[in-house]
Amino acid sequence: MAEKFISERNLRFLLYEVFDVESLLQYPRYADHSREVFDMVIDTAMKMARDLFKPVLTEMDRKQPQYINGEVKVHPQVRTVMREAGAGGWIGATFDYEYGGQQLPEMIGAMTPTAIFSAANYSASVYPGLTTGAAGLIVSFADKAMQDLYLPKMMAGEWQGTMALTEPQAGSSLADITLTAEPTEQGYYKIKGQKIFISAGDHDGVDNVVHLTLGRIKGAPAGIRGISLFIIPKKRIEPDGTLKFNDVNCAGIYHKMGYRGAPITQLAFGENDDCRGWLVGEPNKGLGYMFQMMNGARIDVGVGATGIASAAYYASLEYAKERPQGRRLSSKDPLSPQVPIIEHPDVRRMLLFQKAIVEGSLSLLMQCSKYHDLEKVSEGEKKEDYNLLLELLTPVAKTYPSEMGILSCSAGVQILGGYGYCDEFPLEQFYRDVRIHPIHEGTTGIQGLDLLGRKVIMKNGRAYKFYLSEVRNTIAEAKNDPDLSLYAQTLEELVEKLDEVTKFLVGIATQGNPERFLADATLYLELFGIVSVAWQWLLQALVASRKLKANCNSEDESFYRGKILTCRYFFAYEVPKAQALMVRLMNNDGLTVDMNPAYLD
Amino acid sequence: MNIIACVKQVPDTEAQIKVKADGSGIDEGGIKWVMNPYDEFGVEEALRLKEKFGGEVTIVCLGPARAMETIRTALAMGADKGIHIDDPALYEADSYATAEALAAAIKGLPYDIIFCGQRAIDDDSGQVGSILAELLGIPVVTMVTKLEVEGNSAKATRPIEGAQLVISTSLPCVITATKGLNEPRYASLPGIMKAKKKPVDIKNAAALGVSGASKAKVVKFVPPPARPPGKIICADDTPEGKAAELVKLLREEAKVI
Ligand SMILES: Cc1cc2nc3c(=O)[nH]c(=O)nc-3n(C[C@H](O)[C@H](O)[C@H](O)COP(=O)(O)OP(=O)(O)OC[C@H]3O[C@@H](n4cnc5c(N)ncnc54)[C@H](O)[C@@H]3O)c2cc1C
Repeated sequence: MAEKFISERNLRFLLYEVFDVESLLQYPRYADHSREVFDMVIDTAMKMARDLFKPVLTEMDRKQPQYINGEVKVHPQVRTVMREAGAGGWIGATFDYEYGGQQLPEMIGAMTPTAIFSAANYSASVYPGLTTGAAGLIVSFADKAMQDLYLPKMMAGEWQGTMALTEPQAGSSLADITLTAEPTEQGYYKIKGQKIFISAGDHDGVDNVVHLTLGRIKGAPAGIRGISLFIIPKKRIEPDGTLKFNDVNCAGIYHKMGYRGAPITQLAFGENDDCRGWLVGEPNKGLGYMFQMMNGARIDVGVGATGIASAAYYASLEYAKERPQGRRLSSKDPLSPQVPIIEHPDVRRMLLFQKAIVEGSLSLLMQCSKYHDLEKVSEGEKKEDYNLLLELLTPVAKTYPSEMGILSCSAGVQILGGYGYCDEFPLEQFYRDVRIHPIHEGTTGIQGLDLLGRKVIMKNGRAYKFYLSEVRNTIAEAKNDPDLSLYAQTLEELVEKLDEVTKFLVGIATQGNPERFLADATLYLELFGIVSVAWQWLLQALVASRKLKANCNSEDESFYRGKILTCRYFFAYEVPKAQALMVRLMNNDGLTVDMNPAYLD
Repeated sequence: MNIIACVKQVPDTEAQIKVKADGSGIDEGGIKWVMNPYDEFGVEEALRLKEKFGGEVTIVCLGPARAMETIRTALAMGADKGIHIDDPALYEADSYATAEALAAAIKGLPYDIIFCGQRAIDDDSGQVGSILAELLGIPVVTMVTKLEVEGNSAKATRPIEGAQLVISTSLPCVITATKGLNEPRYASLPGIMKAKKKPVDIKNAAALGVSGASKAKVVKFVPPPARPPGKIICADDTPEGKAAELVKLLREEAKVI
């Protein structure tokens, strides 16, 4: 199997050269850090990925979690991963010092290790990742007593954290959640209900599981205004510190297409009337709180997809260099040796496609991460601006890597031909693993609605306008670079057209036709994704071009030329796809709204 | 207990090594540098002894400025302080000159036990630990896979062909570590933060009173010869024909039968 699963050089390029993570060191929040610290974080994450995550990638796929007597058994390495992630401080890497965190920037403490670990072994990476998300919610919204009770064990990797939202009748539609919580005089709530598809909801790699759960307090209003957030541990902590079973029952696990190293569980709360939950924050505000975790989780999904696509890219690249097959079209001699398939333009096209998706996605995600960091260190209006940008880009940064990651892994399978389809090579696993990403944490359809129906129009389009100005800043800079001005101009025209499409669609909304407004929201999201990743490629090319003008060694030169070539590829092969989307989006015929479903039979 | 761990910075095992065109060394461009894996076992064992008996772990490293990263890595794992021997006169040091510089840096320090890796994975000489012990006038046990320290002595296990030797030695001594001794820990994030603030002394050859003169001189770096291309036997399409052709080639061309 290919050794390489992610490019450290590319990570450093994004961190230090494109997004200048060192610029954060000027803020008091990050004053204790330094470039050396960041470098050591990257080195250590790479080492852990190689030693702990990568060696069990295949095995965790083949030996799936098992449901035995109401409990879930997972691969023994899960316990090691959780303990090392805890002992190393990775679970709380970005948390404030006062909560036992390391106060690292998101770019270094969250984005970088998540990308590295998920590229090495996505399934293994979600156990600590989910725990970070759940612990983050506790930090933000729970009271001190609850923080003291749960955070140390979760951050040590001894207890698993989950997000428990989905119910059989409430998947995309969280407004329909029914898990109920009945107040008691002792302060806790008595919980009854069911959750399904809960990732890492039960397993023997930890000593307890802490579910951050959405439910309704008895008598709460219908819809999302009646949803509250609860902490419901699998085992509750008795006053004497011992753990007691809290009537959270694992009723089974699902057998999945991919991402098989982590179980998704069906959970029954309060079957024996003895399940206790503790309200987090105020009643009926749960969905708002949960969105903090969900936004983070959506970005993580984008990173996870990018990680898998990255591993697939390096596996297919290695293969393409070694597999001799066929001759160049210009070579007529049948006795000449066969050439490695990387000599064929069509194979190169597929490799460039993979590289463009992987590195374009990672750049967009890193951009989001930077906005997150800037939000943390800014005040007032600026803070809000960065928050709005992050909100706007979250559905894009979740969806583009997820949807395109599938196509990218598929190209990887294709490059291996028949071997790509067989399990001696890891490509078929990557292809199965990556398929989850457009589904969990809100399907692509839901992300489309979120982008067009909420984010683009919120605050009178303030986030959207700020986004356009960010893209235009890059365009203006690139116009001054003769090697890139052509792409700058193409992107400028593209942004104009995106704006035209947006105005057209919002116009439909103002005419009071929400169905037609949002019917093709997914396609709008797709368009937005192409624009955003084109922006990121221009940004990367801009930096690469600048570096090439200075003196650099031969490795660096090749790296930067690769960046510029891939930018050219993106503008030549991917950007034109936006045209088709725009043609469709500018048509308000209501084809899918008005059709008769019987015609599908 | 005062423990010293000597570490060397070497190219990552995955690095593609290219020899410079003039054969004077390797091309360092694009190489990722890491702590010599055998030295990691030594650092880990040092930290375990410290956890058991208390005391301090001092890292000693000879190398150019970039070697500081490796010292910081050891400090992030939990070592207390470092000595960085950095002098261009020593960059091409052979095993003897290296051991001499290390010995000079260590001589004035209190120490009960000194760890080295059994060899460095770059030039594979495997001599520094032994020479260092000789120069310090203390015993050495090489290739150690298990170590038990008690009072003023240690029992070290060392594999030999088909068996294990268990060797008792007095302290202080040099132990050269090999795979099997332990599982080195990862640097933790809090450890990484703390490492920045731990003291590292930088010393040059003059300060140590050594000349840096090597006894051995590298004449030239030569990459191993490229593997000759394989030969596909296709003279005749029958198994018999192919076998005959193979025998002919083995006899006449490869001259092995
Ligand atoms: C591997 C895995 C892990 C998961 N982990 C977790 C977890 O940890 N915690 C958790 O709470 N949940 C988890 N889930 C659940 C996941 O979030 C849901 O499956 C997902 O949100 C979709 O819900 P659903 O399956 O009920 O599909 P549905 O909501 O029934 O959707 C089916 C289809 O209809 C579309 N659709 C639905 N509503 C609309 C609409 N209003 N407009 C347009 N299209 C619509 C969807 O886009 C989708 O294509 C996980 C699921 C999987 C498969």
